Amino acid sequence: MAGHLSKLVSFQLSRPQSDKDEPRVGRLTFKGRSPIDTPHYVAVSSRGAVPHLSQDMMRDNTSIRALYTAVEDSSSYWSPQVIEKSSHQSQVPPAFNFPASPDESPLRKFIALQKDVLLILGTRRIPPLPCAASSTSSAISIITSLGFGMLEYTDYAEAIQKLRPDIALGMGDVLFGHKPGVKRKEAMGDRTLAWLKELISAMENEEDGTPRTALFAPILPIETEQQTYYLHALQDELKDSVSGLVLYDSASVDAIPESLRGLPRLSLGDATSPHKLLDAMALGIDAFTVPFITDATDAGIALDFSFPAHSDTNLEKRLSLGIDMWSSTFVNDVSPLLTDCECYTCKNHHRAFVQHLLNAKEMLGWVLLQLHNHHIVDGFFAGARNSIHNGSFKGDRAMFKKTYAALPAKTGQGPRVRGYQFRSEGKGGPRKNPIAYRPLDDGNKELAKVILPSPDDDAENLEQQRFPEKVK
Amino acid sequence: MFMPVATQASLKGLTPGQLARTGCNLCLNNTYHLGLKPGQETLEKIGGAHVLQGWNGNILTDSGGFQMVSLLKLAKVTEEGVRFLSPHEDGVPMLLTPEHSISLQNTIGSDIIMQLDDVIATTSPDTERMKEAMERSIRWLDRCIAAHKKPETQNLFCIIQGGLDLKMRKVCCEEMARRDTPGVAIGGLSGGEDKVSYCQVVNACTSWLPQNKPRYVMGVGYPEDLLVSVALGADMFDCVWPTRTARFGNAIVSTGTLNLRHASFANDFTTIEADCTCPCCRPEDQGGLNITRAYAHHVASKETAGAHLLTMHNVHYLLSLMGKVRAAIIEDRYPEFLHAYFRKAYGGDMTRVPTWAVTALREVGVDLLT
Ligand SMILES: [Zn+2]
Ligand SMILES: [Zn+2]
Repeated sequence: MAGHLSKLVSFQLSRPQSDKDEPRVGRLTFKGRSPIDTPHYVAVSSRGAVPHLSQDMMRDNTSIRALYTAVEDSSSYWSPQVIEKSSHQSQVPPAFNFPASPDESPLRKFIALQKDVLLILGTRRIPPLPCAASSTSSAISIITSLGFGMLEYTDYAEAIQKLRPDIALGMGDVLFGHKPGVKRKEAMGDRTLAWLKELISAMENEEDGTPRTALFAPILPIETEQQTYYLHALQDELKDSVSGLVLYDSASVDAIPESLRGLPRLSLGDATSPHKLLDAMALGIDAFTVPFITDATDAGIALDFSFPAHSDTNLEKRLSLGIDMWSSTFVNDVSPLLTDCECYTCKNHHRAFVQHLLNAKEMLGWVLLQLHNHHIVDGFFAGARNSIHNGSFKGDRAMFKKTYAALPAKTGQGPRVRGYQFRSEGKGGPRKNPIAYRPLDDGNKELAKVILPSPDDDAENLEQQRFPEKVK
Repeated sequence: MFMPVATQASLKGLTPGQLARTGCNLCLNNTYHLGLKPGQETLEKIGGAHVLQGWNGNILTDSGGFQMVSLLKLAKVTEEGVRFLSPHEDGVPMLLTPEHSISLQNTIGSDIIMQLDDVIATTSPDTERMKEAMERSIRWLDRCIAAHKKPETQNLFCIIQGGLDLKMRKVCCEEMARRDTPGVAIGGLSGGEDKVSYCQVVNACTSWLPQNKPRYVMGVGYPEDLLVSVALGADMFDCVWPTRTARFGNAIVSTGTLNLRHASFANDFTTIEADCTCPCCRPEDQGGLNITRAYAHHVASKETAGAHLLTMHNVHYLLSLMGKVRAAIIEDRYPEFLHAYFRKAYGGDMTRVPTWAVTALREVGVDLLT
């Protein structure tokens, strides 16, 4: 019985590392899903959808192969514990009940995710927000739409059993936002190990187990020596139950025990730019969540880079990694976002339209940018795989660094803050959306404290604009 | 035919491709908004609204006058046009004339353009002013026709005014019919008048208007209103309601409107509407997404994608409803269709159908209560 978890995923390295510090290309295969050539990105979802993309847009106009979902992201639905707390009645999260046959994932059906995309479930949103509370011996602290909460490892195990994702990420005791002390570091390894063991025994349980879910084990973002005990256990006892590894910091690759080096490695969100992605690939990371895609989209930026960089040795200054579509220089520009780009947006629309949509705060602007930006990152990874395969990665990476500077700064306004951007800072935190209207009597403090509706982006509110013709 | 409203050259986050897949091939853009953003100069440079939004279907634009009067409370109508102070801090006086409206619509390049009319709320008690507005609308129509530079590619529709006064409406119908525009709109309605008066005006106007011109009633979009108006002889409708209501988590179904944000839908794993063939409700093996009420509840007002999904469903609902209406009329069974629709909408109890609808339909020989 033990060990069936690891048979779901097969991972073949076509160009294994000869040295520790070398990039690698491989192929991750999961039965029933499209195979994924690595290095590759994993799209990040919010409430089951890639921000701004309805399911048909994702299916028809992106090449997304894997989707990350977080229990935290919707734990008002997915964690029974938070529900109980808030409504004082035991209520099962709806996704748990979604009718599905034993070989189907209720979560996949609930979020209407297409069949060929690999579904990954983890604990926290990407990137996670620092929590004020620290974890306990049985739970990590999370931020849900209802506020701060604790995610018990038993609840997480139940969520995995009920939701049956393709891949579940082990629950790591990881701190976000500040560095742990020495004592704490030891506890991190111990807790992560204990939770992982419990998770494995729950998943391999013959009755309620999850024979269709594979498990990725955490490698903690601390020094190897600090997690030696955990890593040994991983290598000696748990190896057969683990199909892959999840890293919170790409630099932790050094900690991976020798016998686990053939497993696929997913790094969560620490690669904040294409440059950082290349650094992480160079260390031998295979899969990445890439938060800068949606960040760029929300900022109105069309990503503009390719790998290898189109070498132009006469570059006077390094190129920007993106184009700020808020810029009024595009008002009359009917060329695609990028010439030769094959994405849906560039094949069907032009800069003038995207500029207009941003300017008019129409949701479609962010849809079109999101499609383009995913396409650019898709091409970037394909280029990287080729380059590694050809053995030219080192030079290509150096050239890329020489060619490109940074992402442009955000100048325009982002979309209305929605669920996926929920940034609760607890009491007294900044408002999600600026207040649109104040009561006339600002002196009335009680009135002023009342929470007012946020601005509606409706086109109907254009009173403040000017019609173009002036009376002569 | 129902036309969804893509105010600023975009329909609530849907791509033109998604809009086409709901069955739409004629949508509305608002002249007032396009005149502001991106502005006439840009529209001129890039070649009009079709090019701007990458939409190969048809576009209808309004004159911009209605938005002017309804959004800018300080607007003043003179013979010259609609005069108002810029709501911008500087308060520059501005003017929208029939010529300017047509020029803007010529630049937009919409397939159907509307005359600038003098709109008064039908509920206004001032008959003198109403008469003035009706007569001025006729004079403005002449100015619009004269100013129209592309009559071979853009169809100018006149707009019948006259409030609830049937005599005035008759004069306006006759005068405007004489101008022989490619289509006719019955204007000034759905602005707060009661449904009985609305039906009387539509019914009267359609009886006076030529048979061979499409008749467009502006601002109508509730399923019942559409069905009754069709029975009264109207052909085209537009309304922001189906798309706006989608943003607030409401789905239009044959039994009414579902507010999917309500907790009772959290565990409802059925599609938004059974047998709906929209991209959301269609099963996966037919190329659909199989979106359930539970998932729509989960994302409603939380994710933009949630709004996109419900918008697709709602627009598709109204377009397919009108498709069924057309089929029923062609097959000469529209009365039966109306019976079946209202029976379903009111749970089999025809006595719950609003009186105005029953009365209006009786006028045209359909008795829902028998
Ligand atoms: Zn593109
Ligand atoms: Zn539907």
